[in-house]
Amino acid sequence: MPPETRSETITPGSLEPDAASGSSVSTRADFRTLEAGLDALQTSPLVEKGPWRRFADGVLPPVVLLLALIAAWQFYIVIAKPRPDLTPGPLDVLTSITDLWSTGHLQTAVVTSLSRGGIGFLIAVAIGTPLGLLLAEWRLLRRALGPLLSGLQVLPSVAWVPAAILWFGLSDATVYFVVLMGAVPSIANGLVAGVDQIPPQLRRVGTVLGANRFEMATLVVLPAAMPGYLAGLKQGWAFSWRSLMAAEIIAVGGSIGFGLGSMLQQSRELADLPGVLATILVILFVGILVELVLFAPAERRLLRRRGLYLTAGR
Amino acid sequence: MSAVSVTERDRTDGSGNRPQGISVSTNTAPAAVVAADVETAIRVEGLSKRFGKAGPVVLDNINLTIKPGEFVCLLGASGCGKSTLLNIIAGLEHPSEGTVTVASGKSAVMFQESALFPWLTASRNVELALKLRGVPRGRRRGEALELLDLVNLADAANKRPHELSGGMRQRVALARSLAQDRKVLLMDEPFAALDAITRDLLHEELERVWHETGRTIVFVTHNVREAARLGQRVLLMSSRPGRIRNEWRIEDNGPRRIESPEVSRLSIEITNHLREEIRRNAA
Repeated sequence: MPPETRSETITPGSLEPDAASGSSVSTRADFRTLEAGLDALQTSPLVEKGPWRRFADGVLPPVVLLLALIAAWQFYIVIAKPRPDLTPGPLDVLTSITDLWSTGHLQTAVVTSLSRGGIGFLIAVAIGTPLGLLLAEWRLLRRALGPLLSGLQVLPSVAWVPAAILWFGLSDATVYFVVLMGAVPSIANGLVAGVDQIPPQLRRVGTVLGANRFEMATLVVLPAAMPGYLAGLKQGWAFSWRSLMAAEIIAVGGSIGFGLGSMLQQSRELADLPGVLATILVILFVGILVELVLFAPAERRLLRRRGLYLTAGR
Repeated sequence: MSAVSVTERDRTDGSGNRPQGISVSTNTAPAAVVAADVETAIRVEGLSKRFGKAGPVVLDNINLTIKPGEFVCLLGASGCGKSTLLNIIAGLEHPSEGTVTVASGKSAVMFQESALFPWLTASRNVELALKLRGVPRGRRRGEALELLDLVNLADAANKRPHELSGGMRQRVALARSLAQDRKVLLMDEPFAALDAITRDLLHEELERVWHETGRTIVFVTHNVREAARLGQRVLLMSSRPGRIRNEWRIEDNGPRRIESPEVSRLSIEITNHLREEIRRNAA
């Protein structure tokens, strides 16, 4: 055996002194640095996007697309020259919006509809949340009421308008009833879905930590169900807004105020197509605005905190 | 100059084949009957478990006494009911027959997945355990930081679970179970999902925490070396039905490492017994 390879030849006997010294206790400080080193190796710092990058990624693409669509529309008007009363151009619609604004109709309609939609949505949250919790935790109730609630979610809430008019007349109660029938099932079902998706391990931890029923519901189940609940709220808002528009189009007059739906209906009666298109755009815009200002940031924050939010391109 | 001396107690008939090189003394007397009333942390008597009325017997007549401050490893192949036994001791499942007595009341439990609440920071996760224990609000933050410092994670207190590595999460989970301040800590394969380097460090961490806090630890694992590395007592369980087959007592008179020759030797012996148990299930 050549002398230079001797150091690589390992026999149990030759290891004995090394093993003894190697097994000496590593000091607390040594261990700390060792562990800190491994921690550093196993975690990578998250790179936050700058504001400009966020703007370029999130705001720019939809705005560019919107401008392109309007340009194409205007291009079509200029090239094909269709009948202006059937196919108004973007400029006609813009004029219509400014006209509606200057008479004050637009502001009234937006405020009326938005406040009704908002109040209706909040009532729906107040009813849908406890209902969803009850359904999620009480199996018998869920078996009994679950199918009905899913059915109500599928049923277009406009279908309730005629009945609501007969019950409540042409009043705000009619509008709110229709909104609630649209939004409550979505919110309750969203919460149920959120609770169903909670990993069973989290509840067991709650039990092990000694949580009672109330603490389990408020400290474990509700926070854990937040992603599903938020999705339900989003859908609930969409249903509120849609049902509200439908109700306002159908039920006009009486003590019902002048909302965006009423404005749409009025423009139709006047055969004012630019006015109709202008109102549709305003309704769409309000819907997008609420999504962008309220729900999208809340959802992003919620998911990012839980490490569920993946930014595009990563 | 071995750091470890091993005592084997055969729970069946004492006819196990023993490899050379380990001093083994067989003790046929039932476990710790003497002075059991004074010094018992956990007592399991005649415990059996079957799922459903006609289901298979998962655990069959388990008798076990664990002293305060002991580090006991429950070792067995898949399906031997070791996790079920742990869950029963934890009070998460109920035995079909027999009794379990935990002298100090309830016990703290740590699972294979850290099961940290993803919406809370590391520190808040620990603070929640303190809150549910009834620690007043003003003292929670400080105590949580102390516990995190015990597992070398004070710097990560404000990080959320998804920002931590698997090993760090398990350390937060360890800090959280220590926050419960219960004398008994039950651990269900807590390091099974970690890579070998991290697991090795966490063994040392756990050993130190055990020495510093004096907890009674019941550690479930299917990793023979892990059991030989950590335990003062290693209980080998058979599968279908789960019974305690063998027991090794390891006299701990010095620091052990997973590479230590004593640990290797003991691992080989335990593995031979484990394979014997698994062979029984063939055909």
